[in-house]
Amino acid sequence: MKRNALAVTAVLFVLAFFAGLGWTNLKFRQRAAAAPAKLTPVAVGATRQPISPLQGKPAPAFTLEDLSGKKVSLADYKGKALVINFWATWCVPCRIETPWLIELRNRYAAQGFEVLAISADDLDRRNPARLSGEKQQIARFVQKMRMPYPVLLDADSISKPYGGLDALPTSFFVDRNGTVVAAQLGLTSKDEIEANIKKALGRKN
Amino acid sequence: MIVTRQVIRVAVLAAIALCAALAQAQGPLTERAGRQAAKPAAVEYLYPEQITVPAGKPSTVALHFRVAPGRHINSHTPGDADLIPTTFSIPEGSGVRLEKAVYPPGAEFSLPIDLMTKLSVYSGEFILRARIVATTGNHLVEAQLRYQACDNNACAPPATITAAIDVIGN
Repeated sequence: MKRNALAVTAVLFVLAFFAGLGWTNLKFRQRAAAAPAKLTPVAVGATRQPISPLQGKPAPAFTLEDLSGKKVSLADYKGKALVINFWATWCVPCRIETPWLIELRNRYAAQGFEVLAISADDLDRRNPARLSGEKQQIARFVQKMRMPYPVLLDADSISKPYGGLDALPTSFFVDRNGTVVAAQLGLTSKDEIEANIKKALGRKN
Repeated sequence: MIVTRQVIRVAVLAAIALCAALAQAQGPLTERAGRQAAKPAAVEYLYPEQITVPAGKPSTVALHFRVAPGRHINSHTPGDADLIPTTFSIPEGSGVRLEKAVYPPGAEFSLPIDLMTKLSVYSGEFILRARIVATTGNHLVEAQLRYQACDNNACAPPATITAAIDVIGN
């Protein structure tokens, strides 16, 4: 009888011990989960970037409308080196990056390079009046920045295959075979963008 | 004797079940943590959770919010038509009407890479004063704060958080 009581006590002790460990662990994980994560892992001008799951894979196909309503497909640019640049009118870092992209696009266009800028601005397709206003806002921005490359709409519709697009700007560098050779999350530097353009063009330096 | 053995058996089974439950609870939590980390809310509603106001009369309530460290959101008056202002609203039919929202002035801020461009932002903790009128009764109000957050390098799409406030109109 005494032995049984001891056994019960031992089992209860073990039970309490594991419950305590589990509770502590659970609380620790909850605290870790609640801690805010940084939006982007790099500082401006830094070269350390997270490796995109798309790297080394074909760029996901898409067909989107441009500002004039014309359908534009990724496949239309087969054989060209590309930057697929996701941006928005409300994104201040995108405004800083855009003149760099324009300059680099003009520098490397003759070598078969193009920028496809895809706007992540909201589009309310259920409300034609609002949709028109939203398109006008994008058009004003494009005109003001003098963006010489194709500007496509509705990044949301292709955000999933491109990794969610939780932060802007986000750029994917695609080589002439349609393979993603580099990706940039957030604002980096003109030098880093240029290095990745060269990579997309298949140049050593 | 038989009863005691049964007690031991039950205790052992309970111990195993509890350990299994804890393991189960922690496994998916890691996954949940991963999901939360992928899209963490840049703004958190702090308090008050409950307020008592005279029914039918305008009352001003100070609502406290906090922007995550390292980030900022546009103020209510970002000074640029393309930037998305922070806005506060209370859904209709909640028993509480928002008469006016008084937003704090934004702090001047520039990105380190572009010191010439001045932005008007909220960062850290900020207080929004809402003038509300509640009908008599207990109302669980799900007020909405819409904002657009950035850090020094990137911006997240516009987001809306709910500030759940129990408003008692006396």
